[in-house]
Amino acid sequence: MRPTLRVNVFRQSLIVSGLFVLGLLVVNLAVFKPSTVAVVMLSGLYQGMLFFLIAAGMSIVFGLLDVLNLAQGAFFMLGAYAGFAIYGALPAGTPIEARFLAALLGAAVTGGLAGALMEVGLLRPLYARPVYQIVMTLGLSTALNEMVRAIYGPAGLVPIEEPPALATTFTVLGGQFETYRVFIIVVGAALMLGISLLLQRTRLGIIIRAGVQDSEMVQALGINVRRIFTLVFALGTAVAALGGMTAAPFLGAYPGMGTDFLLVAIIVIVIGGMSSYEGTAVASLLVGLTRATAEQISLQYFNTPILASVSILLFMVAVLLVRPTGLFGRE
Amino acid sequence: MSAVLTVQDIHTFIGQFHILEGVTVEVPDHSITALLGRNGAGKTTTLRSIMGLNPPARGQIQYRGQALNGRKPYDIAQLGLGYVPDYRAIFRQLTVEENLKIAERRPGDLDRKRQFIFEIFPDLEKLYQWPGGQLSGGQQQMLAIARALVPDNSLLLIDEPSEGLAPVIIEGMMAAIRRLTAQAAVLLVEQNFRVASQLADRYVIIEDGRSVHSGTMPDLLASPALIQKYLSAA
Amino acid sequence: MTKASRSAGLIWLGLLAAALLIPYGFAALTGTPAQDAAGLAGWASAAAAAYCAKGPTPLVWLQAGLLAGLAAASLAGRRLGAWAEAVAGARGGYLTGLAALAALPFLIAAVTNSSACTRGQAFFWQAIFVDVFIMAILAISYNLMFGFVGVVSFGHAAFFGLGAYSVGLLMEHLGWPWWGAVLGALAISVAIALIKGFVGLRIRGLYFALFTLAFAQVFFLLAGNRLLVNVTGAEDGFTFAVPDFLNMTKNRLFFYYLGLAAMVLAFLVVRQLMRSPTGRVLVAVRDNENRAQMLGYNTFYFKLIAIVIAGVLAGGAGVLRGLSLKGASPEVLGLDFTMTPLIMTLVGGQATFVGPVLGAFGLHLLEDFLRDTVVTVAGVSINVGERWALILGVIFILIVIVFPYGIVGTVQNEWRKRRARRP
Ligand SMILES: Nc1ncnc2c1ncn2[C@@H]1O[C@H](COP(=O)(O)OP(=O)(O)O)[C@@H](O)[C@H]1O
Ligand SMILES: [Mg+2]
Repeated sequence: MRPTLRVNVFRQSLIVSGLFVLGLLVVNLAVFKPSTVAVVMLSGLYQGMLFFLIAAGMSIVFGLLDVLNLAQGAFFMLGAYAGFAIYGALPAGTPIEARFLAALLGAAVTGGLAGALMEVGLLRPLYARPVYQIVMTLGLSTALNEMVRAIYGPAGLVPIEEPPALATTFTVLGGQFETYRVFIIVVGAALMLGISLLLQRTRLGIIIRAGVQDSEMVQALGINVRRIFTLVFALGTAVAALGGMTAAPFLGAYPGMGTDFLLVAIIVIVIGGMSSYEGTAVASLLVGLTRATAEQISLQYFNTPILASVSILLFMVAVLLVRPTGLFGRE
Repeated sequence: MSAVLTVQDIHTFIGQFHILEGVTVEVPDHSITALLGRNGAGKTTTLRSIMGLNPPARGQIQYRGQALNGRKPYDIAQLGLGYVPDYRAIFRQLTVEENLKIAERRPGDLDRKRQFIFEIFPDLEKLYQWPGGQLSGGQQQMLAIARALVPDNSLLLIDEPSEGLAPVIIEGMMAAIRRLTAQAAVLLVEQNFRVASQLADRYVIIEDGRSVHSGTMPDLLASPALIQKYLSAA
Repeated sequence: MTKASRSAGLIWLGLLAAALLIPYGFAALTGTPAQDAAGLAGWASAAAAAYCAKGPTPLVWLQAGLLAGLAAASLAGRRLGAWAEAVAGARGGYLTGLAALAALPFLIAAVTNSSACTRGQAFFWQAIFVDVFIMAILAISYNLMFGFVGVVSFGHAAFFGLGAYSVGLLMEHLGWPWWGAVLGALAISVAIALIKGFVGLRIRGLYFALFTLAFAQVFFLLAGNRLLVNVTGAEDGFTFAVPDFLNMTKNRLFFYYLGLAAMVLAFLVVRQLMRSPTGRVLVAVRDNENRAQMLGYNTFYFKLIAIVIAGVLAGGAGVLRGLSLKGASPEVLGLDFTMTPLIMTLVGGQATFVGPVLGAFGLHLLEDFLRDTVVTVAGVSINVGERWALILGVIFILIVIVFPYGIVGTVQNEWRKRRARRP
C-alpha cells in the first residue's frame, strides 16, 4: 500500500551498491589467490569503518547545519593525541586494557568538547555566511594541525600498545590477518548501528531528521535548535576523535594524520549523497573495499600502492558524473 | 472577554525591507480572529513576527501579559503558541506519528492527545505510519494543524489552511478549526473570504504592512464598501 | 664584442620587447593610463637588462632607447592629459605603487649598499619579491573564480603545479626550447581548465569545490609516486636547466621585472575581463545563477571562459615558479597552494581588483620579515618563522569571522558609509 518513488530510489541505490560489491568480489576472485581475497576483503572492511567514523559526523552535520566541516580530520588527529596523553598519564602498573579503554573514552570526550567549543565559538558567528563557514573550518584544520606540531613536534608519536588479546593474528582461508583490525571493524559496525538506532528510534533522532529538512519549523515547535546543533556537532567530532584513537595502535599519532583520512571521508560523503546517513554508511564500505582491491592490484602489478588513492578519486568523479547528488542523495 | 494576544503597532524588517509598518492585532480568548488582506499585504509576516521568526524592530507583543519581544522562537512556542505555516512544513522523511511526536513538549503529550486528534482528523489514524512526504495536500494540512494540537497550546496561528484544497476537504477543515476554540484562541490568515467569514468572530484587515481596520465579523459583512475597498481581488 | 654575447643580446632584446609589448599591446587595445603603466613595467625590464649587461652593447642601448622613445612618444602625444588626470585621481595609487616596485631593486641596493646585479642583500630581496609576484598572480587568479564568479575551488594548486611541472618536463625530457615549453605549459593549463570546466561545472556549488579537490589530489599523488620516478623524481621532484637569460641565479634583476610585468598583466587581464560585458554576466551568475539563466545567458559558457582565464593565469604563475627555482616538486600541487591564495584573497579583499595583490604582498612579506623573529609571550618563546603555518591558520580564522571583506573591502565599505553619511 506504499508505492513510493523515494523508497524505490533508495532500494535502487542499495541494489546498485550490492552489485558493485559483487563486482569487486568477482574482480578479486579473478585476480588473486583465495587467501589474498579474504585479506583484501577484511582490509577493505576495516578501512571502510575508519572512513565511516570520520564521515558519519560530517554527513549528519552537513545535513543539519549545512556546514561541511573540513576540520573533521583534525579531530581525528586530536583524538589520537588525546588518547596517547591519557594512556601515558595513567600510573605505571595500570593494566593495558584499562589504559586502552580510558584512552578511547578520553579521546571521544575530548573530541566532543572541542567540537562543542568550535561550534559555539567559531561556527555560530558565521551561520549567515555559509561559504565562510567552510573556509573557516579549513583554516581551523590548519591551525589545529600546526598547534599539535608545535606542541609535540613534527615527528609524531610511536604507536601505543594495544591490549594483548587484540595484538594477535589469525588465519582466514590461509591469509594472515591482525585481530586488531577486526576490533576496528567491530567498533565501526557498533557505531554504525548505534547511530542508526539513535536516528531512527530516539527523540533526538526525530529532531535531527526533521531539522535536516526544516530547522526553522523545528524551532517553531518549541525546540532549541541551536542546542541540538551543538550537540550533534559535538557527537560528530567525538566519533571522529574516537576513530583517531582506534586507529592509533597501528598508525601512531602525527600532525596531518587526519588530512589523508579527511580527503577519503569527503569522497565517501560525496559518493553517499552528502547528507544521507545511510548513503554515508554504504559508501564508506564501498570506498574501503574499492581502495583495498585497487591497492592490492597496484602492489601486485606496479609494485606501488598508487592506485589505492587514485581509484577512489576516480570512483567519486564517476559517481558525480552519473549522479551529481551522489548515490543516495536527494533531488 | 480577555485578550490572549495583543500586538501593538509592530514594525518588522526583512533584510533592508520595511515589511510591517504598524500592525495592531488583538486576539480574544476562545475565539477566532481572521487576518484579512490582499496577497503580499503582510499577513504571514505578522504571524512570523509573533512567533519570533521575523522579530519586530519596534512595537509590543504581549501574550497572556508576558512580552514576547526579544524571545527566541522556541521560547515563544513553549509558552503555548502553536504555528501552522502556509507551506505546512510537514517533515517528509518522518512518519505521521513522528511528525506529531516531535511536537511534544512533555513526554506523553501525544498519548494524551491522540484520541482527540483522531476524532478531529480521522484520516490521520489510518495514515499513522506513512511518511509525511506521501500525504496529499489536504492530509498534510490536517497533520500540520494536528501537530499544533499535541502540546497544550492556548493560541494557534494558522496560515491559509484552505489554500489549494478541494471544497469538500475545506468543509472538514473548517469544522475542525471551529472545534479548536473550545481549548484555544485562533489567529487565522485566510484568503478565501467565504471561509474566513464563516469561521471568524473578529477580523483585522492588513494593507501594505499596516493594520487598517478591525471589528467583528458581522459588522464587516454588513459593510460591502469595506470589503470592496480592501479585499476584492481587483 | 664576441659572437656569443651578441646573440645573447639579441635573445634578450627579443624577450624584453615581448615583455614590453604584451602589456603595452594590451594597453593599446583598451587605452587607459593604468595600462600604459604596464608598458612602463616592460620598459623597466629593458632598462634593467641594459643596466646589468655590464658594458651594454650598442645594440642593446639602441633597442632600449627605441622602445623608451616609443613609450614616451605615446605618453606625450596621446595620453598626457589622461596621465595627469590619473596621477591626480584614483589611479594615482596604482601608478605610485608600480613606480615604487620598478625602483625597488635600486632602492634596496642603495640602502644596503649592495649591487642590484650581483649577489648580496639586494639580490636576496629580489628573489623574495619574485615569489611575491608569483603568489600575487596565483591569488589574482583565485579571486577571479572565488570573488568574481563565486565558484569555490579547492583545487587551484592543480593549475599552478602543472604549470611548474610541464614547463620543466617539456624542456628537460622533450628538449623543447624555452618559449615552446612556456607555450606548451600554458596550453596544458587551458586543457586542464577545459576538462575541469566541461566535467566539473555541471556540478554545482560545494560539489564542484570537492570535485576540484579530488582532481588536484590525483595529480599530487601521481607526482609524488615512485611509479614515474624516472620522469618526475617522485617525492624529491626534479630540476632542469634554463637558458642563461632566464636563469634567476644569474640574471635576477631581469627576472624581477619579468615577474612584475607578469603580475601587472594578470591584474589587467582580470580587471579588463570584469569590466567587459562578459564580466558583468559573470557577476550576475555569482549573484543569482538561475536568474542569469532566465535572462537568456548560457551561464555554463561564461563560467567556462572564467575558468580558462583563471587556469592560464594560475598555470602562468606555476611556469614562473618552475623557471625561477629551475625545478618542481610535489608540494607545488599540494593543498598549500590552494589554501595560500585563498587566504591572500580573503585578507586582501575578495571581489576587488587590488585586494589579492595586497594580500599576497602583505602575507608573503610578513612571513619573510618575521622569519627569524622570536617572540616571547608570557615566558614562552615562539619562533615566528617556524610557526608561520599556525599563525596563518589563526589569521585565516580571524579574517573570516571579523573582516569577511578583507582589507580592501572593509576600507571600501567604510568609505562608502562615510560618503553616504554626508548629505
Ligand atoms: N524573505 C523576504 N524578502 C523580501 N521580501 C519579503 C520576504 N518575505 C516576504 N516579503 C515581502 O513582504 C511582503 C509581505 O509578505 P507576506 O507577509 O508573505 O504577505 P501575505 O502573507 O499577506 O501574502 C510582500 O510584499 C513580500 O514580497
Ligand atoms: Mg501569506
